[in-house]
Order: sequence, then structure tokens, then C-alpha cells
Amino acid sequence: MALTTQRVDVPVIVDESKCLEKCTACIEVCPLDVLVKNPETGKAYMKYDECWFCLPCEKECPTNAITVQIPFLLR
Amino acid sequence: MTYSELDPEVVQWVEMLQSPDLNDRLVAAKTLQHLGDEDTIESLIVALKDDSPKVQEIAVMALWEMANPIAIPPLLKCLGSTQPEAVRVEALAALKEMVSPDDLLTLLDEVQIEDETVQLNVLILLRKIHDAQALPYIAPFFESKSPALREAAVVTLRYLNQVVRFEPALALASDESEEVRRSAILTLGHLSDEAVVPTLCQALTTDADWQVRRNAAQALDLQSTPAAIGALTSALEDEHWQVRKFTARALQRVADDTVIPSLVKALSDEYSDVRRDAAIALGNLGNPEVLSALKQTLDDPDRDVQIFSGRAIQKIQDKLAETTHA
Amino acid sequence: MNIQNLQTDFLVIGGGTAGTMAGIKAKQANPDADVLILEKANIRRSGAIAMGMDGVNTAVIPGNSTPEQYVREITIANDGILNQKSVYQTGRWGYEVIQELESWGVKFQKDHEGNYDLKQVHRVGKYVLPMPEGKDLKKILTRQVKRHKVRVTNRVMATRVMVKDGRVIGAVGFDVRKGDFVVIQAKAVVLCTGACGRLGLPASGYLYGTYENPTNAGDGYSMAYHAGAELTNIECFQINPLIKDYNGPACAYVASPFGAYTANAEGNRFINCDYWSGQMMLETWKELNSGKGPVHLKMYHLDDDTISEIERVLWANERPSRERFHEGRQENYRTHGVEMNISEIGLCSGHSASGVWVNEKAETTVPGLYAAGDMASVPHNYMIGAFVSGRLSGLNAMEYVQGIDHVDPDPAFLEAEKARIYAPMNRPDGVPHTQVEYKLRRYVNDYLQPPKSPSNMEIGLAAFERYHDTLDLMGARDPHELMRCMEVHFIRDCAEMAARASLYRKESRWGLYHYRLDYPEKNDEEWFCHANLKKGENGEMEMFKRAVEPYIVDVNLEQEVYDVAVR
Repeated sequence: MALTTQRVDVPVIVDESKCLEKCTACIEVCPLDVLVKNPETGKAYMKYDECWFCLPCEKECPTNAITVQIPFLLR
Repeated sequence: MTYSELDPEVVQWVEMLQSPDLNDRLVAAKTLQHLGDEDTIESLIVALKDDSPKVQEIAVMALWEMANPIAIPPLLKCLGSTQPEAVRVEALAALKEMVSPDDLLTLLDEVQIEDETVQLNVLILLRKIHDAQALPYIAPFFESKSPALREAAVVTLRYLNQVVRFEPALALASDESEEVRRSAILTLGHLSDEAVVPTLCQALTTDADWQVRRNAAQALDLQSTPAAIGALTSALEDEHWQVRKFTARALQRVADDTVIPSLVKALSDEYSDVRRDAAIALGNLGNPEVLSALKQTLDDPDRDVQIFSGRAIQKIQDKLAETTHA
Repeated sequence: MNIQNLQTDFLVIGGGTAGTMAGIKAKQANPDADVLILEKANIRRSGAIAMGMDGVNTAVIPGNSTPEQYVREITIANDGILNQKSVYQTGRWGYEVIQELESWGVKFQKDHEGNYDLKQVHRVGKYVLPMPEGKDLKKILTRQVKRHKVRVTNRVMATRVMVKDGRVIGAVGFDVRKGDFVVIQAKAVVLCTGACGRLGLPASGYLYGTYENPTNAGDGYSMAYHAGAELTNIECFQINPLIKDYNGPACAYVASPFGAYTANAEGNRFINCDYWSGQMMLETWKELNSGKGPVHLKMYHLDDDTISEIERVLWANERPSRERFHEGRQENYRTHGVEMNISEIGLCSGHSASGVWVNEKAETTVPGLYAAGDMASVPHNYMIGAFVSGRLSGLNAMEYVQGIDHVDPDPAFLEAEKARIYAPMNRPDGVPHTQVEYKLRRYVNDYLQPPKSPSNMEIGLAAFERYHDTLDLMGARDPHELMRCMEVHFIRDCAEMAARASLYRKESRWGLYHYRLDYPEKNDEEWFCHANLKKGENGEMEMFKRAVEPYIVDVNLEQEVYDVAVR
């Protein structure tokens, strides 16, 4: 089957300059498990566009590297 | 506790919490918070004094989540003016959940520390304990130079069980600060000194701040005394609708026929809450003379007014039927 | 693929409100028993209250109300169709739950004397107890789970309950990160996986922009059904008055003590009670269709200080992202009403009445299988009800497991289930779950959103039946996508149940929740009963009537009509 890759505006934005390689706080608290580490950089990013904008990832980040926006379709 | 006694899963994080690298300490504190192992409490208490406010803040959160009373005294030390604000705010939130009546004496010691920030925070915590033994310790704050402390003290007074008379509170009803007067007036609603009702009536009719007047109406609702009817009647004409609303509510409990003209006038108030609460008050009074005025509000655009005015009419008619049968 | 084989005495599927309590109570009853909570997220932040909670709705506190009064109020609010004995439990044990939560550190709002500060939101009686500092309830529950030595397995999603010789023997599922196949033998199982919150599609079109936590996809409804348990009142949908697009509650009950209220476009009240019920939703629907819509939560008549106070409470609580939503639209409560609309449909007994049939012991109709929380059919049960039913399931399951041995699962069943679960992984280029889910949920909106019309629902039902084949087109590239694929299976099952139950009950009841255009009136003569469903012998869905259990609290339903718009 033919598949295409679509660009999507994602709600969870990670400031890579602040994200700590050894830390997994945001990944562990996400109820929808949408955050993962980029294996090359060790930084977290939103891999799946399945956000409930519930904010624990942002609150738990020890370096304030995360900003959660309301998903574009609701904004 | 030595490292060897710790769960191997947590040892590495406890060690990392002492790393010279701030980022490592941040990760360690956060991980320990998530692990929630009570054997790490001592290490987290030490981290309350970390150089980094962020590490301190995470340590507070971690101790809060474990909620072990051992952490209460060190957390109380985080409430002072020299602490970063984020740490203070978090520590206060944690302590609000953690303090119990067992901590009364500790709190009473803390409230005597000469630091306004500590004192304010401890006055807030004392509200969670409701113990009248705190009264002599909060009394000096009624004469404090700081309006914030006077306000906090008069609010805390409301939370002390068995305290029904306390004259210094009356003076704060004419405090120079509006914030203090607003809180003092609400506290007076719960007190029974002779001067309370006249003070509240005075505030209701003359205070320059409408929120003080509104609070006076609420306090008089609690007092529920016929001595306030005169002041309440004139407050039905107040320029602020919330004062009129809470006055109408107070008149649902105490009123006599002298209030009828003012209440009927309130049935056509611009604000639906005033119209509704006046209709209820008229129903409670039970005088059939007001039936025609109430009937005119049955097609009020506001559903609540329709319903409550219908009920008021019913109530008056029921009472009428009862007296006719008797 | 790795296979994990686990064993436990009591398996709790879902670590939310009901599940954490079920685990804790089971360990309190028998500290030597092994109790395992299976959670597809992380119990720190999972379930309906993952974002926090700002109050409880059904607190029966001595001196304020009695369990009998509570049962009366819910009987009337639910148009008489309920098992009063189950509802009574919420009234009977709620106070003890509140006291226990308090001993664990949960702070409820108290008045100046230290008494619970209850608010009236229901038509009659005070049952609402705010907990302005209770936003992190989940942390406290997690701490107690740990202290009680309940085992927890995070990031594993159950897909089927295992039944052998008519009783429960465990469950199967998979690790949503590593992909391991997980087989758990258990002597008793409680399902507490929450609502089916991903049934209808939100007006925004965003699949996860739901009122409920979107992880709650109806897992337990589907698993109970396939285990052979009865479900009930599925046609009594969950529909809520929510902030348009944001899909969170406007929290009229938080703001109303400050003088805010729900108003029509002219700024006038059109309902008298802010408690959510089908009747209230029907009034809202009528108002929206009367030319006086849209409706909004009105605060702009209040002063700045009062509004600031309302904001302080709202921003900190159940939906912390709400401030951001309004900011983005440059909306301010001082000048704007909060526009509200009618939500998409869901299944949730916590709010309405649709759920897995349970009795007053939280037992389903399958021995050893319990259900608790939003998915168990105790009407209007909300959070306190979830705690109470979790507690009941934990205590009763501990009695049930005495003298019961583990039973080996049927290898053929395991192979078949493994093949079913992992099929999408064999089609990495199959249709993405997002598209398959979107179309399914759009059908739900098109054909099931009330008011309900029979021909529409027939078309919907045929579409849901055909959708079995569509599910076989789905592809997944990792265990995470596989989780979403299997959730679409749950959603399809729930959609079919919703269509069949709604077609079956040929009357209108529960206001908008089951408002049928072809039978607009209530018909007690034929339909004063539960409409139950289960998987029949031939594997087809069967509908049947189940009589309402005799009342234990007398209620005259003729006189006591639940009317939020009486004149």
C-alpha cells in the first residue's frame, strides 16, 4: 500500500539545548506515551501526535525544556 | 543509612545527587522523586540546601510525595524570606498537606521567628489545625505594622475552633487597609462579642469599599439577627449589585413587613441574582400583599427567577390556605 | 518475540482511581496475597484523573445527607433504571473513603470549623465537596500502592480476559514499548479501565482532543464482552456540556458559588441546575436549537476581583491547560462568555449509566470477574463511586480467591490471541491506525449522535459490522502503534454495542442521552427495565431485557420527575 509522510504541527516542543541526556522524566509521566529519546542526540521529542495537553511532561521537566501548546486543531 | 543498606536501584541516584555537575544532580533528584523510596529521605533533606534552587525545589516535591512527617521541620525551614520564591511556594503547598495537630508546638515556635515571610506562611498552616491554643500566639499580629500579617491573623482567627469572642478583631473592621477590613468583617460573622452586629451594620452601610459591604451582608446572614433589619433594608439600595444580592439573601432569614417595599423594588433589579434572591425573601415573609408583584416576575427572562418566584407564590398561597382552614 | 508469563492472586487491569483502590484494599484484606496492577501508562499519571481533580461529586457526609437520600436523588436523575443496592454502596461507603483518603494526605475543602465544606449542585441535597488542593491525588494513591506493597506493571496493555470452564483464569496483553506478549494467570480479575472516551469524534477533529483521558478507549467494555459478561444501559450515552473545541468542562459548579452561571446568547439562565444529567443536556440541546444559542458560561457580569479568584481556582485544577487555550484565542472572562457546546458521545457510567453489569459486590456475571470505576454500571458514580467500587472489588475478590487454584491457559486460545494482536505488525505498510480510527469515529458521529433516528442507526450498525474487515487492513510499525491499533478494535466493539442497544430500546429516556425521534416519549409499561447485552453462543451480540431489581429505597417516580427547567 502506498503511504506518504505528512508534516504535522505537534503540541509538545522540546528545547534541545536544555534537555538532559540522562533524564527520562517527561517520557515516564506521559499517559499516552508519545515522547521518546532521539537515539542519536539523546534528546526527547514528540514522536506520536497523540497529545491530551495534560502538561505533566512540562511540569516534571527539571530544566524547563518543554513547552506544551494546545494542539493546532483545537487552538 | 549507609549506601550498602539501600536498594541497589536507588544507590546510583543517591550518589549522583552529590555530583559537582548540576545537571547530574537535577536528574538524580527527579529520578529519586519518581522512585519514591523512603530510604532516600535523608539524602533529599540534605538536597534542600543544594546550591541550585531547582534541585531544592525538586527535593521539596519528592519529600512532599513521600509525605513522611520527618521532613516537616526541614521543610518549615524552606519558608523563609531568604529562600527562592519557587522553593517557598512549593514547600508551603507540601506542608499544607503534611501538617497535623501533632505539629502545633513546632508551628507555634516558628511563628515567633522574626521573619514576616515565615510568619505569614505559618499563619496559613495554623488554619489546617484549628486549635484554639494558637490564639495567644496570633494575637500580637493584630497590631502588626504589616497589613499582610494583620490580614493573615484575622483570617486564621476564623479557623480556630471554640473561639467565639475576641475583641481585637473588632478594631480591624475599621483598619486603614481594605484587604484587612474585608477579611476582618468575614471573621466577625463567626464571633459573638456584643459590638459585632453594630460594627457589621456600620460597615454594611458606610464602608467605602463595596467588597467590605458585601462581606458585611454575608456576615450578617450568618448572624441572622433582627437587629440588622434596618441596615439591611437600606443596603438593598446599595450601588453595587453584589451587595444588594447578599443583602437579599440575609433578608431571607430575618425580615419583617417593613422591608417589603424595598424587596418588591428589588424584583425589578437589573441583575437576575438580586431578583431571584428578593423573590425568595418575599416568599419566606409570606405576606399575601406581594402576590401581584411576584406574579409579574413569572415571565422573567431568567429561568431561575421564574422558578423561585413561582415557588415563593406557592409558599404564600399554601400559608394562606392553612390560615383559612384554621 | 518474547513471552512473559506472570502469576498473581488478584489482577487489577487499569491503575486509575478504582484500580489503585482495588489493589490497596485487597492487600489490606490479605497482606500475604499477591496483587498486581497492570497499567498501560504509568500509575503516577493515568486514568480519568491523570490531570488532577478539583472536587468530588457524590460525597454522602453524615449530617449533610444520608445514603437513602442519595439513592433517591440518583434514582430520579437516572429515570428509575438502576440497581439501587449498588448505588447505595456509594452512599454507604463514600464517607469512609473520604476519611481514608484524608488520612493519606488528600485535603478536602473545610469550613472555618474544620467541617467538610459541601456545595449544592444536584437538584436536591449537598453532595459536592471541593478539593482545591487535591490536584495531585494520583501521587498520593501511588504512594499508598507502594506502601501496601501492591505490585505494579506499567506500560502493558491487556487485550483479553481469559475464561475457562465458566470462570476467569487471567488475562493477556502486550508490552506497549518492548512488544512482549504477556500472559498473566490470576484467580480473580477486576476490570477498571475507565470510560470509552474515544467513541465519538470531537468537533475539532483531533482524535485525542477528548473529554476523557484518551487512553480510555473502552478497553474494559470490550474485554468484559468477549469474556461473556453482560453489559447494560449502553444506550444511555455520556454527553457533556463542554467548552467548545477545548472539550474540557467549563466547571460551572466551581464558578457558580462566585455568581457565574450557564446562560443563553441573550445572557439569561435557561436551566436551573448545573448538575450534569441527560435532562440538562436535552434542555441545552433545545436552547441551542431555539435561536437563542450558543450557550456560554457567563462571568462577565462579575467584578475583576471575583473573576481573578475564579481564574485562580480554575487554572490550578482539573485542566491546567485551560488558561493557555483562552489566551491563544485572546478570550478574557471579563469580556467574553465561555462558549460551550454539546460533546461527542462516549460510554461512561461515572457520568451516565452505560457500563458492565455489576451487583452490589462489584461482581460481573462471570465468576471471578469484577468491574469497577467508570466502566461498571453504577449510574452517576463519579470519583467517589470509583473508589467505592474499587474497594468492593478488592475486598470481595480476596474472599473469592480463597481455595481457588491457578488454571493453565488454553494454548489454542493463546495462539489465536497472539495472532490477532500482532497481525498489524505483519503489515507495516497497512492503513495507519489514525485513519482507521478517524473514519470509525466519524461514523459514530454521523449515525449515533442524539437525537437518534432508527434508519441512521441501522446504517451505522451495518458500517460497524463491515468494519471488522477494515481492521484487518491496519498496519503498525512498532509496539506503540500496535497499542493504538488494538484500541481501535475496542472502539469498534463499543460502537456496535452503542448502535444495537440504542436500536433495541424503543422509547426515549435519560433526556438527550437516549432521545429517539421515532419514540420521543418515555414508555414505562414496556421499557421500565435494563436493556442488557452479551456475546451469544454463536458469537453474535444478543440484546435482552433485565428487570430492575426491587427498590430498597422507596421513590415515587410518577411524582418525582427530574426536571431542570420546571416553571
